[in-house]
This record gives sequence, C-alpha cells and structure tokens, in this order.
Amino acid sequence: MSFRTRLALFFVAALVAVQALTAVLVYEVTRHELIGEGQRQLGVAAAAFVRQLDDISDRVADGVRVLSLDFALRSAIAQHDQATMQSALANHGRRVGATQMLLLDVDGRVVVDTLGAYRAGAAFPYADLVERAWSQPAAAVVAWRGRAYWMVVVPVFAPNLVGEIAAAIPIDDALLARLQAQSTLPRNIELVAQSANHAWSVLAHGSDQVALSADLAARRALLPTQPTLLELGDREFVAQAVPLSRAHASAPVAAVLGYSVDEALRPYRPVALAWAGLLALGLVVGLIGAWLIARSVSRPVEQLAASARRIEAGDYSAPRDVHRKDELGQLATAFAGMAEAIREREARILHQSGRDQATDLPNRLAADAHIQGELGRRPRQPAALLMVGLARVPEIIKTMGHMVCDRVMRDVGERIRGPAGGGFVARATETQFAIFLARADRQEAIAAGFRLLDALAEPYREADLTLDLAPAVGIALAPLHATGANGLLRRAEIALLAALGTEEPIAVYDPATDPHRPERLSLMGDLRAALDNDQLQLHYQPKLNLAGGAVDGAEGLVRWQHPGLGAVAPDAFIALAEETGNIRRLTRWALAAGIAQAKRWHEAGRTIRVSLNVSARDLDDAELPRRVAELLALHALPPECIALEITEGAIMGKPDAAIAVLRRLAGQGIDLAIDDFGVGQSSLAYLRRLPVRELKVDKSFVTHLHESREDQTIVRSIVDLAHDLGYRVTAEGVDHETTLAFLHEIGCDHAQGWLIAKALPADAFDAFLKRDREAVPG
Amino acid sequence: MRKTAWLLALLAPLAMVGHAAGLSVRIVDGHGAPVADAVVTVVSRVAAPAASAQPPRTRVVDQKNLTFVPYIEVFRPGDSVVFRNSDNTRHHVYSFSPAKAFEFVLAPGQSSAPLVLDRSGVVAVGCNIHDRMIAYLYISDAPWIAHSGAEGRVSFDGLPAGAYEVRVWQPRLRPNKPDLAQIATVLADADPQTLTFTLSLLPDPRTQFDREHTSY
Repeated sequence: MSFRTRLALFFVAALVAVQALTAVLVYEVTRHELIGEGQRQLGVAAAAFVRQLDDISDRVADGVRVLSLDFALRSAIAQHDQATMQSALANHGRRVGATQMLLLDVDGRVVVDTLGAYRAGAAFPYADLVERAWSQPAAAVVAWRGRAYWMVVVPVFAPNLVGEIAAAIPIDDALLARLQAQSTLPRNIELVAQSANHAWSVLAHGSDQVALSADLAARRALLPTQPTLLELGDREFVAQAVPLSRAHASAPVAAVLGYSVDEALRPYRPVALAWAGLLALGLVVGLIGAWLIARSVSRPVEQLAASARRIEAGDYSAPRDVHRKDELGQLATAFAGMAEAIREREARILHQSGRDQATDLPNRLAADAHIQGELGRRPRQPAALLMVGLARVPEIIKTMGHMVCDRVMRDVGERIRGPAGGGFVARATETQFAIFLARADRQEAIAAGFRLLDALAEPYREADLTLDLAPAVGIALAPLHATGANGLLRRAEIALLAALGTEEPIAVYDPATDPHRPERLSLMGDLRAALDNDQLQLHYQPKLNLAGGAVDGAEGLVRWQHPGLGAVAPDAFIALAEETGNIRRLTRWALAAGIAQAKRWHEAGRTIRVSLNVSARDLDDAELPRRVAELLALHALPPECIALEITEGAIMGKPDAAIAVLRRLAGQGIDLAIDDFGVGQSSLAYLRRLPVRELKVDKSFVTHLHESREDQTIVRSIVDLAHDLGYRVTAEGVDHETTLAFLHEIGCDHAQGWLIAKALPADAFDAFLKRDREAVPG
Repeated sequence: MRKTAWLLALLAPLAMVGHAAGLSVRIVDGHGAPVADAVVTVVSRVAAPAASAQPPRTRVVDQKNLTFVPYIEVFRPGDSVVFRNSDNTRHHVYSFSPAKAFEFVLAPGQSSAPLVLDRSGVVAVGCNIHDRMIAYLYISDAPWIAHSGAEGRVSFDGLPAGAYEVRVWQPRLRPNKPDLAQIATVLADADPQTLTFTLSLLPDPRTQFDREHTSY
C-alpha cells in the first residue's frame, strides 16, 4: 500500500471514527435528555391533565348548582313534580354537556333519571358521592358501560338539603382531543378502567392511538405512577399513569399519558440527516485533501527517488522542481548538495586516478587511454613511443627512500617536458617515463631520444646530494611494432630493458630479440604436442678425434621442424622449455633417442660415443641417474657408449644436489663433460670437486683462434691445464683448417664444428662416416 | 336571659306536681366542641304530654343584614310567625317544608302577615334572592323544649322524677339521621342528670355559600 493511500485511509478512518463517536454520543445524550425532558414534561402534563379534568367537573358542578338554585326546579322538587323535574334536568343537562342527569333524594335514591337507566326509588350506586355531596358538590370519574364519565353530584338546598342532582359528563375521545388541542398535553393519552379480573381496558384515548396501557398493564398489575420508559414495538415512550378521583362503586379509572421519545427526536432527524450529509461531504473533502497532501508529500519523494537513481547511474544533475520551504525542500536541497559533492569527488578521483601523485604527470592508465585515443584517431600513421628509464632509481629508493625518489622523479618529469617537444608525457612505472610523439618516425624518435638523454645527463642535485640518473631510452614505433597502446608501451619497455642492459643508451624495439613475444606461448603448446607426437629429431654433430684422425663421437642436438614455422632455433625452444618447466620431458626424449641411436651404432660395430646435453633443471631431478640406467639396461648398452654434457651454470645453481646427481651418474660409469667451458665463473679448482672427465672449450674462444694470439694462448693453457688435471678437452666451433691444425698441434683431444660437419640426422651421419672413412683412411 | 325566662314560665306548672329533678344536656360535635343551635326536647316516657294550656303566640323572625334573626325559633303548634324585613333590600321568603310551605316577597321595612304554624315539624325558611339566608322554625308540642347557645348546653329544672326521652336536633345533622334520642331517668333535683350528645354535623351552609367562586 502506498504512502499516499495509507495517509488518505488513515485520515478518512479517523474522520469517520470521530464523527461516528460524536454522532453516537450526541444521539445518546440527546435521547437521554429527551427522556429526562419527557419525564419532567409528563409529570407536569399529568398534573395539568388532572387539573383540566377537575376544571371540567368544577364547571359542571357550578352549572348544576346554578340549576339547583332554580326556584322553579326547587319548587318542582318540593312538589314532586316528576315531569317538570325530568324536563328541567334534561334541559340543564344539555347546557352543561351531561349525557345523564339524575335527581336523588337525601337518602341517595334516584328520584328522576333523564336517561332512564335507573328507575325511581333505586339506590344511586355512588353512595360515597351522595354522602360527600351533602355538604358540597362532589365529583368522581366513573366507568360505566365501557365509557368514562365525570359524575358530578351537587346538593339541592331548598333552602335546607332536599336532594342532590347528579350529572354524568362523558370523558370521550373528543374531549381528550379538545383538551390536547387546548394545552400542551402529550399526544398519547388514554383513559383506562380496571375490570373485575384486574385487566385494564381502554375507555378513551387521545389523538395518538397507541395502546400504551395494554403494554403497561401487561408488565405489572399496578400502572406506573412515575414516568417510566417503555418500548412499544420499535417506538419508545415515557409513560405515566395518573389515578383519577374515583367513586367506590366504580372500577378504578386512570389516565395514562405517554411521551413519545421518537416523536421528540423527530425534530432532530433533519439535523441528523444534515449531519450525515456533512459527514459525507467531509469524507469527500477529506479524501481529496488527504490525497492531495499525500501527493504533495509523495511526489517530491518519488522525484528524489528518481534523482537517487539518476545519481546511481552517474547523472549528477540536481533534482528537478523541488522548490519548497518544508522538510522535503530541505531534503531536496541536501540531496542536490550531496549530488554535487559526489560529482566533485568523483571528478577529483577520476582526475587523480589518471595522475601520478609525485610528478603530477598522467599515469600509465591515462597514458594508455591517451595513446589509444591518438592511435585510433590516426590509424596507420607513424607515431613513436619513447620509454625513458632510470637505471639508478631502484638503488636510489633503497638507499635514500621514496621521498627522495619522488623528488628525483618530479625533477626528471620537469626536465623531460622540454625535450619531449609537445609530445604527451606520462609516468609509466615507478622508474619509467613514457613520451608519445604523434607523427614521429624512426629518425625523429631517435633524435628525440638523444635530446632526452642530454636533458638527463646532468646528475640530480639536492643539498649535498648528487645522484647520477643513468638514463636509457627504449623506442617502439607505430604502426610498425604495434598498433595498440598496450602493445606499444610493452614493446617500448622491452626496448628500454634492452638499452639498459647494453652500452647503447638508446634502443629501438627489435622483434627478433624480444623474448616476450606472445607467439612463444603458443610455441610452448606446439612443443608439448611435438614431444607427444615424436615430431622432434635428434641430430648428431661429429666429434673428430684429433689424435686418431677419426670421428669417434657425436653430440646429440635436438632439432624441431615446426609444421607452420619451419625449423625452430634450438636456443629459442630450449630456453622456452627451460622457462616453462618442460625441459625434463625434452631431456627424457633426447636421452631415449640418443641412447637408442647409440645402441644401433654399437650393434653396427661402430664406436661412436653419443654425448647428450643435460639442462640445469635436470640436475634437480634425483630420478635422472636411475632413468639413464634404465634406458641403458633397456638397450643393453655399456655406459661408455654415452656421455652427458652439463653447462657450468647448471652446477653453480644448486651445487650440493647437482653434485649428488652427477656423482651417481659417474658411479654408473657414465662420462660427464662440462659444456661451454671458459665463459662461466667456475674455476678449475672448483671443477676438481666434480666427477667430470671432459671439458668442452666454449666456441667463443675457438671461433677466432686462427687469428687471435690471445685466444691461442688461452686455449693452449686450458688444454695443458686440463690434461694436467686428467680431463679430456674438446674444442667446439672449429671452422677453419688453421684452427684445426693448431688444435692438433697443442694436443687437444677432440674437435667439433662446421669444418668437420654440422649436426646431421642419423642416416646422414652414417653416410658422413662412410665418406670420411673413405677420405681419411686409417 | 330571655331563654331562661320563658323556660321558667314553661316549667311553672310542673313544679307544683311534686318532687322536681334537674336534667342537663351537653351537645358536642365530633371534635368535642360545643354545638350551638341544637334543639333539645324532653318527653316523659310514662305520662302523655299534658296538653298545652298556653294561648297561641306570634313571634317575629327579623331579617337584618341579609340574615334571619333568629336562626332557630321554637314554636308550639298553633303559634304564628311574622317575617319582618329590616334590610333595605327585598327578600323573597319561602319554604317548601311539609310542615308549612309559603312564599312571599317582603319589601324593605315590610312585615308579613302572621303565618299560623299549626303542625309540628321543622320549617326551613330561605330567601330566594339571598341563598345564604336560612332560618329554622322548630314546631313541637314536647313539654320541655329548649335550644343550646354558644356553650352547647341546655338545662332543665324541676322535672318530675321519672323516665324521659330526650331528643336533640340540629340543622346540620346528616339528612338521613334527622335527630338523636336518648332515654334519661331523673330522680330528684339533688341528683342532676347530665346527658351528652355527640353530633356528627355537616358544614354550615350559611358559611359555605359565601365561597361562590372558590373550589371545594
């Protein structure tokens, strides 16, 4: 239920409840008051009614007494003149409204009856009236033949008491109606008489014909003499009975007066109707008002909710149309303020997120976005990204701390802004700045690089601190090296790394030297597949025994013919295998292939010792000696038929574990050789600890042996020393006859190189052996 | 005084008979108050009343200030009554009583001709013009007769010893009880008897009719 509906409902319910309660209260109070008023009125009316009836009897008595004083009548009475008496009484009865006139003697016997109901001499039934009338007129209400009469008895003095005249005045409906018309008597008046069986019968009633007495009498034998509330059907009355003066011989006669509460309430009915109308009107007005008020509350709230949703969606425009002075207006104002604050904060965060704090230059994210935008705007147009790196920075951080570093970087940032020549400058990483030069080609980029280097040539000075920055610049070109910002940044960084590692302070990205090209990842997958599918070949480079002049050994070299890329350089994929943890599989494969070939040659009766390369990672593998032993056992090959070559570096990494593995291999009778000897940092003294039988002099010493005296001295020294220590020596990279001759001269044991033969497949190797034997017999 | 005078005259013959006795009659109403205007008659129960040897007399009932004076007058049969109008208004004097019925108008200062009351009984006399005027003529041949004054007492002296019937009448006695009677035996003067009559009386109509316009 919406707020609007609830408010309206509450309002209306409250209104209805209050009005209903008020109405009930007012009705009850009014009714109670009216009943009280009715009871008061009834008491007054009862007295008034009795008084009016008495007035009637008084009037009749007066009239009759005047008659009684009529001399002629008195004369007629005295003379017992029946006819005169009869006619005089009848005549006078009409005057006073009597329906019956009687003349009684002093003993109460009827002398004359105008109605003829009593014969002469009969006792008048109302003896008490007769007796009372001796002294004064007496009257009583009597019930006679189902009707009520005032029986008024007046003495006749002539001049002493000679008799009485009784006049019967009917109290009928007409009389009651007249009385009601003449005064404020209640509409409900009944005259009732009690019959012998105590039941009350109605003798006459007033204008309103409701049988009050029947109900009253049904309730109790005695009629209530106090105002009593009673219900007749659906009507309410306050009723009171008044016993009227009675004659002993007559049944008791009473008047029952009723006050109709409904009647009294009738004037209030239009008021109630008006009230109900007002209530209905109030309800309608209240509903409309409540709805309007609720709407005036809920509409701004809905607007604010909509504003909140807009803010959620990133639209910080102020809420509309809320110009109010009430609480909702305050809320809207606060809302607008909040939206504005959020907008400002977001802008600041956005700005800061694209800024480097130390230098106030755009950061890498901003640079990426900017460069991407530039490249997108001018696709396929030349552009250059220069990455300026400071080799000394990590050192500065370690020794001087970040604060100094930040100041250094701020200084650098300012310094490179000029030489950047309007290019976009950003701080790419902690130690690197990126300068994007739109429209710059290779030459311009290199020129800019030199300008940058010049700008950074001066050391950074601060107080007594002087720091050499050792800058370098890497350059990547678009669209040559990359067409995206990310690629461009990465390649410039690679170029920078290359520059940092060399003498040249500026390097342009070279895809060939990039060890981080993405193709390498797929190449690795391909290598695994090649291992699984046996797509690799093991080639064999012959080793010439210089003393014997014959080939008696071969170095197994892995060759990979990639289905798509063609021949893949061994250095490339071996390094890749080492980095990605696949070298052990490669080694395992090479061992299996080499030993199998050695077996074939062994069976063919050829004494060719196959040398196989073992990587540094393989020396971590404690299983290696066992695996080699299993392969030899599998092929039933003597261990002398193979040799394993290890580089110096491999042993230097984890000497203890590596030496343990090597000792086990040596223990199995396998010859071990140190590959690429001379370029590493190991000393011969150290090598003495290893179970090694052969040294392979690195080809860097051999390549220029034919022309370099220094190299000749070195190699000679190595050979002499090795021989003194009991090692055999093999020279690699023998390309010249002179070199071969020199090696022979100094007593080197084996030579290996293109001069003798390049690495050959097994069958080509066999063919080479055949030819060699023919060419150099013996 | 007058009353005593003619009572003595009445009793004079009896006193000569022999022993004489006294009888006192007290008349009270229901409240014990003395009742005036009560006529007491005493009749011997053994001896027949002696014939009246007195000559008839004429008495005057005056009308003064719209009132009959006296209110009650005692007569012997054969006595006459004369009505005299001493007011300056006319009076229409009448009576419907069986003992004597008459009717005439008296001009101011006029007196009626003597009316002979020859029968015993009570004659109620009224004025047709003035309702409250009423007078009673008590006609009796009883040997002893007297009416009470304001003190409500009547005394008889010199009654011969013997038994008597004593009757009391009052105008306001209830109509169905015209008079009361008691038997009294008197022995001697030295032994005066006192009889008390308690009367139940109606209101005096003379005062009643003053209230013409009041309720009852």
